[in-house]
Amino acid sequence: MRNFNYIGFLFDYGTLLVLALLCGWFSYVTIEEQSPTSISAAERLAKRASGELSTEAKVIVLARQGGEGESFAKTLSEQLTQAGISVGSTTIGKPTDARKALTDFGNTGKELAGIIADKHMANFANANLAKLGQAHPGLVKAKIFQPESYRWPNFLKKENLLNVMKQISVVAIIAIGMTMVIITAGIDLSVGSLIAFSGVITALTIQSLGGSAPTSGDLWLGAMVGILVCGLAGLFTGGLVTLFRIPAFIATLGIMFIAKGLAFIFSDSAPVPVGNEAFGWLGRGRDFLGLPNSVILMLILFTIAHVMMTRTSIGRYIYAVGGNPEAARLSGVPVKWVLLFVYTLTGLLAGLGGVMEASLHTTGDPKSGDLVELKVIAAVVVGGTSLAGGQGRITGTLIGAFIIAVINNGMNLTGVESHMQKVIYGTVILVAVLIDRLKIHLLKLKKT
Amino acid sequence: MKHIAQYLGLTALTIALLTGCSPSSDKPTTDDSSKAAGDTSAPAKTKGTIAYTPLTLSNPFFKVIGDHITAEAAKNGYDTLMVDPDMNVKKQSDQFDDFISSGVTAIILVPCDRLSIGPAVKLANAKGIPVFTVDAKCAAEGAEIAGHVGTDNFQGGELAGHAMIQALGENGGKVLILDFKKANSCVLRVAGFKKVVNAHNSSRTTGKIQIVAELNGNGARTEGYQSTADALQAHSDLDAVFAINDPSALGAYTAIEEAKKQDQIKIIGFDGQLDGKQGIKDGKIFADPIQHPDKMGQQIVQNIIKYLAGEEYEKDALIPATLYDKAAADQDPDLN
Repeated sequence: MRNFNYIGFLFDYGTLLVLALLCGWFSYVTIEEQSPTSISAAERLAKRASGELSTEAKVIVLARQGGEGESFAKTLSEQLTQAGISVGSTTIGKPTDARKALTDFGNTGKELAGIIADKHMANFANANLAKLGQAHPGLVKAKIFQPESYRWPNFLKKENLLNVMKQISVVAIIAIGMTMVIITAGIDLSVGSLIAFSGVITALTIQSLGGSAPTSGDLWLGAMVGILVCGLAGLFTGGLVTLFRIPAFIATLGIMFIAKGLAFIFSDSAPVPVGNEAFGWLGRGRDFLGLPNSVILMLILFTIAHVMMTRTSIGRYIYAVGGNPEAARLSGVPVKWVLLFVYTLTGLLAGLGGVMEASLHTTGDPKSGDLVELKVIAAVVVGGTSLAGGQGRITGTLIGAFIIAVINNGMNLTGVESHMQKVIYGTVILVAVLIDRLKIHLLKLKKT
Repeated sequence: MKHIAQYLGLTALTIALLTGCSPSSDKPTTDDSSKAAGDTSAPAKTKGTIAYTPLTLSNPFFKVIGDHITAEAAKNGYDTLMVDPDMNVKKQSDQFDDFISSGVTAIILVPCDRLSIGPAVKLANAKGIPVFTVDAKCAAEGAEIAGHVGTDNFQGGELAGHAMIQALGENGGKVLILDFKKANSCVLRVAGFKKVVNAHNSSRTTGKIQIVAELNGNGARTEGYQSTADALQAHSDLDAVFAINDPSALGAYTAIEEAKKQDQIKIIGFDGQLDGKQGIKDGKIFADPIQHPDKMGQQIVQNIIKYLAGEEYEKDALIPATLYDKAAADQDPDLN
């Protein structure tokens, strides 16, 4: 018995190990020179520059617009002024603005002692100072200061890790429903099309309610309609599977084509714009501790689903139906209701995914969601849920989704072409299923 | 105990398989980037990274643009990051997120969707990363594009018109146009073509070039074939076809060959894709105005370098098309 647990433990954490190895690998290959633009970096830079320059020396401060550029430049010029350096001008903008700042200073005929800049502007100054100096000799002696760089993997930047989670949130959320469907030994191929369908329905509802300037009430209502319509589609699928005993593969294949076709028909084959930037709140907003709203939603839904699958009777029913439907029925599990429930839930979650994706682009696009169903299934299978039904865990699916996301993100960071990405996806899925088969095989060995 | 040993072995094997496959497949690109950097990084380290996300890399046109971006960027001391969104705008905006978090110097974009890519471009704008478009423009409101390089499609259409006049000679004749109205670039090609043909006609009383039909070729072989077959039913005395790209031109050729009229009907195509060029060499197509993805890639990088130096550059640069005919095809080493 002790051995068995040990083996189970090893398999459970096998996927986690794969995730860790992938993260390690991508961290290793994306190590790059980083140049900070934080306030503390500005303070350090100001100290270094004022240490090297004599007081009353004339300098100008340059930073690229956007991001931390403004706070970086402000801190710099404040600190430099405090240290007794005379800051001629502070420019936060594009390279053309920097050029203008330098020529303006050059025109005054004074001598420039230093240029204090972020990495981008320091690059600009390095490349252009000599040429500018020909017309403005006062600039030639200027010393260029930029923050000290350090080496750090692009993959491990906080911003990038949040991207990884944000990019997979739609797939992961739908994978919650898919996990339950697959645990009941079913499958749902319609979720990708439902993303497009939901996005289009949502955008069209918002348009018809509020025209080109919808209120936030219209946005909420539109999102609700999109989600509910997809819930109904899921309920319909569940009905086909339970009442008419159509295999889930065929039933959802039919819905997949119908939903995709309807999305194109309703939208007239063109993306439907939503005329209110507030619609981007769900897909792009960051309201809590700098975490993307879609990631928070994903984590909340996973927590609920985990509790549901491990602590409630509906969770036990779902496992029972997948393990042995006949035995489940005989022991009083309402098999049909359970199946209706999982397909409806998957429909609702696909609808939510569609709203999230529409929100990301502030458009309902009938082209969206293509092949997402396969990514969702891949996440579930990689997460250790058995396609034979009866086995699987929500946390495993979350890890599976992260593995897919990390591969995707890592390959974007390193510039692996998309055909190779497909080869790698395929390999990951096969290896995951291989582990699954081995698990079943070895469990049998143990029992005998 | 034996089982555990087996287990450990198998797990190790699968993990080795998994991880072993990603490094080896990554190698070409890491090699590429180090090569790109290697050209210049001997004296100084790389100045930054220029990211490129085209419509799809499956189309050689965008691959050629990308290769010339890489070469031109390396010449100026920049690395290149080339990714493939596979015509999927969700993937493309995810790639924008990744570009932004890894702090690229500039982004070159061929929008997968001229509107839906807007929020991603705005995000890059907010971080101060300049976004340039190549080939196709971004039409999203409020998305700031620092510069564009494209083909001069109107001028290319004019070239096609001149080629048509040359092909038909003094006698003039009846012409079918295979258009693709969904793409603005193709509308411009037809407009340029008509301008030249109309000017030609107004100066003469006989031997005019008459456009007898304008049908949708959908820019594809299948529709080019069908529309031409239909047009041949209606106009059995057709003399020439102008197709807005090579696939529809080759589709038209199939229909003409089927009707055994390949000696009677001349075809002018557009683009200069490899199979189009081969068609010119084989005498299927009379001539093509061709685009220059190589120059587009070089031009866009040169514009970025000028932008980064704060210098003036052409915000909306058009690369002229040139005419590619049988004589050029016979000299082309890429053809057999």
